[in-house]
Amino acid sequence: MDLKRKLQLAAYALFILSLFAVPLFTDDFGLNRASKYLVYGMLGLSIALTWGYAGVLNLGQGLFFGLGAYMMAMSLKLMSPTSLAQGSDKPIPDFMLWNAEPDAPIELCCITPGSYLWIPFQDQWFGVAMGIVVPVVVAGLLGALVFKNRISGVFVSIITLALVLLVRLIVIDAQPVTNGFNGLTDLGFFTVFGYEFDPYSREMYYLVAVSLAFVLVAGRLLADTRASLILQAIRDDQQRARHLGFDVPLYQTFFFVVSAAIAGYAGMLFVLVSEFASPTFMDLSFSVTMVVWAAVGGRSSLLGACIGAILINVIESQVSETEALVDAWKAIIGLIFVLVVLFLPRGLGGLAHDFVDWLARRDREKAHGLAASSSSPEREVKQDV
Amino acid sequence: MSDALTLDRLTVKFGAFVAVDDVTMSIADGELRVLLGANGAGKTTLMDMISGRVPCTQGHVRVFGRDITNWQEHKIAAAGVGRKFQIPSVFRNLTVKQNIEVARCHGQSVFKNLRFGMSPSDSDRVAEIVELIGLAAVQSLVAAHLSHGQTQWLELGILVAQDPKVVLLDEPTAGMTHDETYKTAEIIRRLRGNHTLLVIEHDMSFVREIAEIITVMHLGKVIAEGSVSDIETNDEVRAAYLGSAGIS
Repeated sequence: MDLKRKLQLAAYALFILSLFAVPLFTDDFGLNRASKYLVYGMLGLSIALTWGYAGVLNLGQGLFFGLGAYMMAMSLKLMSPTSLAQGSDKPIPDFMLWNAEPDAPIELCCITPGSYLWIPFQDQWFGVAMGIVVPVVVAGLLGALVFKNRISGVFVSIITLALVLLVRLIVIDAQPVTNGFNGLTDLGFFTVFGYEFDPYSREMYYLVAVSLAFVLVAGRLLADTRASLILQAIRDDQQRARHLGFDVPLYQTFFFVVSAAIAGYAGMLFVLVSEFASPTFMDLSFSVTMVVWAAVGGRSSLLGACIGAILINVIESQVSETEALVDAWKAIIGLIFVLVVLFLPRGLGGLAHDFVDWLARRDREKAHGLAASSSSPEREVKQDV
Repeated sequence: MSDALTLDRLTVKFGAFVAVDDVTMSIADGELRVLLGANGAGKTTLMDMISGRVPCTQGHVRVFGRDITNWQEHKIAAAGVGRKFQIPSVFRNLTVKQNIEVARCHGQSVFKNLRFGMSPSDSDRVAEIVELIGLAAVQSLVAAHLSHGQTQWLELGILVAQDPKVVLLDEPTAGMTHDETYKTAEIIRRLRGNHTLLVIEHDMSFVREIAEIITVMHLGKVIAEGSVSDIETNDEVRAAYLGSAGIS
């Protein structure tokens, strides 16, 4: 194993260890906040997977995040005590009563148009499953359509951008089913075998931390496969890759789907931690913010993008809470972004890679220098011959 | 000897313009065929049609008797047709070694390649190929940093690694110095025998060095076919391609 690989492993191990050390230093309120940052870290990673490895800049990652979030929130909404106190023996979301016709039956089947969609969500695990399945199916269809037709570069970005805005509009518009602009609030606790996950608890933090560690390791393993090497080849030259016999759209769609699944999972975790789901998850600014995180952290480094997302959010919360900087914090974040793009186009991850390269080169030169001095007499002899 | 590549009345029209007109040609297994012609004769378009980049309007392409006309590029490649582009195209952000490794990954599907590393025999082959194309010293360098000649050899190496039965080479020596051309001829000679080659080339000294049979195209049509000396003395070829001055 070479030096580069060793340092990479060390970086991953150190990061994951420090994830589990956080509870030693902060209280439950701080842990709730830290959990949100870790979810953002997961989103940064999902962006890096498509942007850095596949060369596909997704400006609508919020779509998959939002879909995952809503699926989870629908189940949790039905588990909320208020949903059980709406005058029916089955749970009914409170907002549906506000949106219902006066003489509508108080039943999920028909209280509002489309409310029947909620029926299977009475089972929490259905919501969990859909939180992955829906983003995967949407990404699969979108990917197949876009990549089969050889759409690439900025056009993919435009399509994803338009799609997230479209879905956001639909969610807002379908108020009787989604509670529109208000989103889903007043949710129940996520429950596993009778144990309730309190958002302000160590257990919830560990759930998120274990999830992030798992996604990081799985993402790293995926990035080390031959398929990922081929994907990077496709990013560099699609046509060349086609003539080598690779089914290019299949590779692109596969990694797009994996990224969407990660974003959907992040969306579910975010709902557990923050106890709401809202159309703001599909705001354009949020999706663009994710891209900024990945750019600062390093789009071609999974760990880098993850750390970038966490770092920016930590800085943002610190700056925005400092009295003197209350008005200026957005400008400060903007400035950081501009500086990174200007001077570190490959982000913090790129900086780390350069440093490791420099170390490796120095090592090699040392070894080479020794070898050269011991073998140089021999070489001279050879040249004479 | 069976025919490796058969073109049967191949035609392509771009609007009213007929770029390749009724081309029929067959290349025997293991043969090296040179395709000659002035700019705009339709040579590259012909390669695009064989490799699936440009859909044929009429006619058939057969590889070892199998009809591959208008298949998708990756399926044609999987059927055993590899090609080198006129403008060298390699994976610029991957290292030299990774470029060869990618070409050595078998299977079209993403699921077949969800595994780590190469088999020992494939890694040995990759090392051999890097040696063959003379880029062993720069194998961990990113391909974007290679010189023009080195990039051309890397693309040839990619083809060797892919190991297609039929190899299409579009001007493999374009923009090369004399020494580089010599080395390229060496690599192409190594491909010979195990592969069937179709080569587009302008450099006559290079053509004389490698060619067995030459096919000459002019304005989308095949106007002559034969050995180097046949072609050099053919009046129609002189008029169409070589000009009154003949072959220099």
